[in-house]
Amino acid sequence: MKSDYVVEMRGIGKRFGGIHALKGVDLELRPGEIMGIVGDNGAGKSTLMKILSGAYLADEGEIYVEGRKVHLHNPQDAYNLGIGMIYQDLALFNNLDVARNIFVGREYSRGPLGLMLDKKSMYKKAEELIQELRVDIKSPRLNVARMSGGQRQMVACARAIAFQSKILIMDEPTAALGVTEAGKLLSLIRNLKERGLSILLITQRIPDILAIADRVFVLKGGQRQAVLDVSQVTLDDVVTMIVRGKDPNGINAPSVEFQSFG
Amino acid sequence: MLRFDPSGLRKYTVIFVLLALVGLFSLTSPYFLTTRNITNIISQNTYFVIVAVGLSFVMIGGGIDLSVGYQMSLVSVVTAMLMVIYEQPVWLAIIAGLVLGTLLGLINGIIVTRIRIFPLIATLATSVIFQGISYMISQAKTYRNYPEAFLFITKSKVLGLPFDVFLTLLIVVLASFVYYQTIFGLRVMALGGNEEASRLAGINTRRLRVALYAICGFVVAIGTMVMISKSNTTHSSFGPGTEFIALTAAIVGGISFMGGEGNVPALVAGVFVLAVVGNGMQLAGWGIYPQYIVRGAILLGAVAFDEYQKNARRSRLAKS
Ligand SMILES: Nc1ncnc2c1ncn2[C@@H]1O[C@H](COP(=O)(O)OP(=O)(O)O)[C@@H](O)[C@H]1O
Ligand SMILES: [Mg+2]
Repeated sequence: MKSDYVVEMRGIGKRFGGIHALKGVDLELRPGEIMGIVGDNGAGKSTLMKILSGAYLADEGEIYVEGRKVHLHNPQDAYNLGIGMIYQDLALFNNLDVARNIFVGREYSRGPLGLMLDKKSMYKKAEELIQELRVDIKSPRLNVARMSGGQRQMVACARAIAFQSKILIMDEPTAALGVTEAGKLLSLIRNLKERGLSILLITQRIPDILAIADRVFVLKGGQRQAVLDVSQVTLDDVVTMIVRGKDPNGINAPSVEFQSFG
Repeated sequence: MLRFDPSGLRKYTVIFVLLALVGLFSLTSPYFLTTRNITNIISQNTYFVIVAVGLSFVMIGGGIDLSVGYQMSLVSVVTAMLMVIYEQPVWLAIIAGLVLGTLLGLINGIIVTRIRIFPLIATLATSVIFQGISYMISQAKTYRNYPEAFLFITKSKVLGLPFDVFLTLLIVVLASFVYYQTIFGLRVMALGGNEEASRLAGINTRRLRVALYAICGFVVAIGTMVMISKSNTTHSSFGPGTEFIALTAAIVGGISFMGGEGNVPALVAGVFVLAVVGNGMQLAGWGIYPQYIVRGAILLGAVAFDEYQKNARRSRLAKS
């Protein structure tokens, strides 16, 4: 079955105890696009994306990848379908070097029964990834604990795309970065899009979205508010949608103070 | 962003400490550096090394097992009684002991991962349970005079080395190989470094942790065979206390309480730091008991050093 979308999420619901984090959320991602995911803190952005990456199980709803219904029980399932995620807290191993961080869980194997670690291939491939991503990491043998926020972000990125991912999810990748590093990361994201990846980018920095995304998905209180075409909206439109929601005059209209998203 | 990495050097600190101690004691006692004394030290410590290696699997994976001492007690009593009382063949008694040890580790692993209580408390509890079972089975009696075939473990020689020394070396080399050359070893390091990230990386963290406790139990059971073969007697009180030596050696050898770090040569050096301190003190005429005070102090010092390193690293990270 062919589909216009590379990912479709239908009626996704998720509760954490008493918290209703997601309420019947639909999402469609087009092939090769960058879709921004925005919303206030606690809106459910990370939860929605973690469901797509297999880190959380949805309580209700369905997920289709390239038109086929899928069941994501764990991150490995999602990864096998070409979905890679860079988590907000990065999920790196501070005790391991760059190459090991990239490949742990999906190691190159050798030897009898494939029990041994193929370090040579691992370092070679890590070197290639570093070059490909044009990352300023001197060697894949460096420990990640002593790296800058930007470099760590790059390692997480290399990890997420190491094995031909088709869909890349990034959770607030620029949040902890300085201006220069954030700029570098944005151009990397553009590069990845040019290589044909479909990208879901959670961020609080609306200007970033306007600069590189095709569409922007607005979430509020665990509900989808709108999907806006970036070429047809202004910063104010997006901010208003985040704060007020889709129904500013209706009974659901919450009174929220204006907040700036820098 | 590259900074000097003290942990690279720290890995070998313990080896320098060991050499310094050897130097010190060879000055204070002319008897210390004799072949006889060194051979003695090595021979008395083979099973401590084996047990410490077993424990290292759990610890590098970010856990702890305080019950290894009473695992030894239970395994030794069962193995000895099978040979001495029930007159079973030696090979059967050994296999039964090894299987039992693995099972005890498995039980620890399942309790720690399923009930999700702190491994420190969980294994303290199982330790007391193992103690009770061990004394019930042995009825607090001593069992001695094993079949000659069992004494083979410590009496025979392989490649010119006493068999237990050979076995210990084999286990040390094998463990190093597992940690540094295998996918399993990398995943153990990953689990100890960041459990949630391991899960997100697609590793079945629960199963891995259970496996680590089971491996620990198995290796500890091997150590138990060496221990009772050496003494040619068994009592339920044999074994307890080993967990303290193994734990201290591990920390002294740079295996962090937090997991994710460690190397086997330093671990072995850690065991011998304790051994040499004990031996040196004895030769200096201090007797047995002050050693306990010194061992406790060494553990405190090593843990404090470990904490200090962690804090230093954390504040370094926060600054960058
Ligand atoms: N693991 C969890 N356990 C309990 N509550 C959670 C968990 N993850 C998220 N939540 C809750 O779900 C809601 C949405 O969180 P999240 O998806 O992290 O929001 P966002 O990423 O948009 O800031 C919040 O109220 C949060 O507290
Ligand atoms: Mg979030």
